[in-house]
Amino acid sequence: MVTRNGWLALAAVGAMMAGAADAQTLRIGLSSEPSAIDPHYHNLGPNNAMRKHIFEGLIGQDENQRLKPELAVSWQALDDTTWEFRLREGVVFHDGSAFTAADVIWTLCRIPNVQDSPSSFTIYTRSIVAAEAKDPYTLILRTAKPHPLLPVEMSLIGIIPAPADAEDLAYDPEGCDYADWPSTEDFNSGKLAIGTGPYKLEEFVKGDRLVLVRNEDYWGEKAAWERVIFRPITSAAPRVAALLAGDVDLIDNPPVQDLPRLKADPDIEVVSGLSNRVIYLHFDHFQEPTPGVQGTGGKNPFKDRRVREAVSKAINRAAIVERIMGGLAVPASQLVPPGMFGYNPELQVEPYDPERAKELLAEAGYPEGFELVLGTPNDRYINDEKIAQAVAQMLTRIGIRTTVDASTKSVFFRRRNNYEFSFYMAGWGSGTGEASSPLRALVATQDKAKGFGGTNRGRYSNPELDRLLEQALSTVDDAKREALLQEAMAIAMRDYAILPLHYEMTSWAFRKGISYTPRMDQYTLATGVRPAP
Amino acid sequence: MSGLSVEARAESPLRRLVAEFVDSPSAVAGAVVLVLILAAALFAPWITPQNPYDLAQLDILDGNLPPGSAGLSGLTYWLGTDDQGRDMLSAILYGLRISLAVGAGSTLIALVVGSALGLAAAYYGGRFEGLVMRIVDLQLSFPAILVALILLAILGRGVDKVLIALVTVQWAYYARTVRGAALVEGAKEYVEAARCLALPDRRILFRHLLPNCLPPVIVVATVQVANAIALEATLSFLGVGVPITEPSLGLLIANGYEYLLSGQYWISFFPGVALVVTIVAINLVGDRLRDVLNPRLQR
Repeated sequence: MVTRNGWLALAAVGAMMAGAADAQTLRIGLSSEPSAIDPHYHNLGPNNAMRKHIFEGLIGQDENQRLKPELAVSWQALDDTTWEFRLREGVVFHDGSAFTAADVIWTLCRIPNVQDSPSSFTIYTRSIVAAEAKDPYTLILRTAKPHPLLPVEMSLIGIIPAPADAEDLAYDPEGCDYADWPSTEDFNSGKLAIGTGPYKLEEFVKGDRLVLVRNEDYWGEKAAWERVIFRPITSAAPRVAALLAGDVDLIDNPPVQDLPRLKADPDIEVVSGLSNRVIYLHFDHFQEPTPGVQGTGGKNPFKDRRVREAVSKAINRAAIVERIMGGLAVPASQLVPPGMFGYNPELQVEPYDPERAKELLAEAGYPEGFELVLGTPNDRYINDEKIAQAVAQMLTRIGIRTTVDASTKSVFFRRRNNYEFSFYMAGWGSGTGEASSPLRALVATQDKAKGFGGTNRGRYSNPELDRLLEQALSTVDDAKREALLQEAMAIAMRDYAILPLHYEMTSWAFRKGISYTPRMDQYTLATGVRPAP
Repeated sequence: MSGLSVEARAESPLRRLVAEFVDSPSAVAGAVVLVLILAAALFAPWITPQNPYDLAQLDILDGNLPPGSAGLSGLTYWLGTDDQGRDMLSAILYGLRISLAVGAGSTLIALVVGSALGLAAAYYGGRFEGLVMRIVDLQLSFPAILVALILLAILGRGVDKVLIALVTVQWAYYARTVRGAALVEGAKEYVEAARCLALPDRRILFRHLLPNCLPPVIVVATVQVANAIALEATLSFLGVGVPITEPSLGLLIANGYEYLLSGQYWISFFPGVALVVTIVAINLVGDRLRDVLNPRLQR
């Protein structure tokens, strides 16, 4: 029994705790925390989001992933393979040293020299064959071949300050001449967590908290918060509970199931925005027989375009969006969402037509259907396991008796990369903000040297698509490049190489009194959180 | 009917046990509920309106309907539907089948394996006994849920794998119980007599020792069935048990758990009630059995 005095005491403690969180501190509950502070260690969403607070790039990306000047005030292609960046003057790092072109060259040199990087940033630097400082505030970058994505790639790299003995280091694509590269541990401890960004790192305790403080010497608009505390709360229910209890001011990825309740709460606001991530189904286009398919006499049914079309027509995308995603997704017609560079407006969302799907199956020689295993992660995408079950349900209705093989993401991706699935579900977020990213990764023929097909684990191959994509990737003219990407997208979609299901929407929930602008890249940035006017 | 035969039958041990069992109203109530649950689970395919494991019978457009709603197919969902459009009533009855089958099946296998090892350990002694009993000690020093989680993480999902995991965590209880009982029995004269007659080991083990070790084992088993069902539900709730397209009670509860905050209580609530009622019924029966089978408690 709690006595009346007990209740009073509890109320008093509660009031004191509420008072402790002053108006200048922002507390954010994150669904996934960065694996390191080192901006070049791991090319991963949470890391890249955190990087933007501390380390800036030459170029930035706004909420809709359009490029905007950051440490470079302007950039232009002098010719097809030469780019000139005019750097911002008067910018200082958190340690007080001035930002110049030498720091950019140092950064480009350091990226290939990160120890044990699980996912390296070299994919953004390997096109660069030469980097020179014409003067401290003019940087020239050269590529071997025309490379229109260079500005995009420069927006994905955080700049770190060059040490005193590396001010004159020359860029060499084969490896710069330097011995003592900075270690990831020194970034995580805070010793080298020195950038030009609006926030400075105060403390990083992995699994517990990450604390940032305002950079009072920031070159641009000063940050709105004196301190920002990020707390990783990976389970959805405790994250929501933390927001409701007032322990945090903002959370990312509130579960779809809880949104009606959060929206009904007068003290909580929810915003949602379209993301750059498409959820797709990929077929095995290669193995015969293919794992998980039975009742086809050893044949791989997905080599037949009619079967792929039947599968696509059997899926009721609108029902998935409405029922499973609670309306917080948009049915997909292709691999990038509307508004993104390379989106093809002529492509339509596949209409739901189970009758035609059955006809197509019969035409392809499977009037009785077959048995299929659908692979899916169960903790990677919003409601991934439920979506897979719904897809299995819909396919079973047209005669493809489908079971779902769901596993945790690390297990799923390892098995997928070993080609253990004939049919799997996954997602792709276009980090570059344009269509060449999913096309290159998901449907281009596997080719390590070219960096093609890295995630094409169905091993789809279409020479016409490869040709268009290669052409697009070496066309600097934006209008021409977009037309090429749209054509390549149309080829992949009309061949049912891969089936887009929907574009995820990302949600943020926060207490009344602050605001957040949804970001297409799904990043949760303290710089985007503002006290409501 | 002569009075003599009634008396003779009343003296048979089984008759006496039944009479003592029905003395307790709560145990009888538990037994009745248990029989009803068993019947419902056994005849589920004939009495449920829908086969929840046949994906072709589910319609996602019927998902998350509250109890009593009518679906697109005209079916009335008396206990509502889950997010995949499964009729909760059908899903609960089918889920009970899995829970009971896994609980009873794993208990039976663990009983056989554990008893055999415990009996052999007690009878042969020496190094063999040391080895078996140290494994038992080692196993019992870890929480069952931890061992089961590790096993399933390695083995993967599936009813057969849950069965393996549950047998692995349970056999040690039986081995220890049987060894204790067999050591006591083994020191008695009738076993000595049997040895002097040079009867084969097999005969002494199974005809003399085993029957006399059974009462405590049966008591342990009734308690363990309920534990096994709860453990299976826990494992499925944590997402490492049965496959998602064939949910047991624990997985149904886990699926509905996400919707609790938004007021769609029925997805978790009804499977939870079914699970609790089942376990309570088994425990009531088990407790009474323990009382009537324990010679020390006899009045």
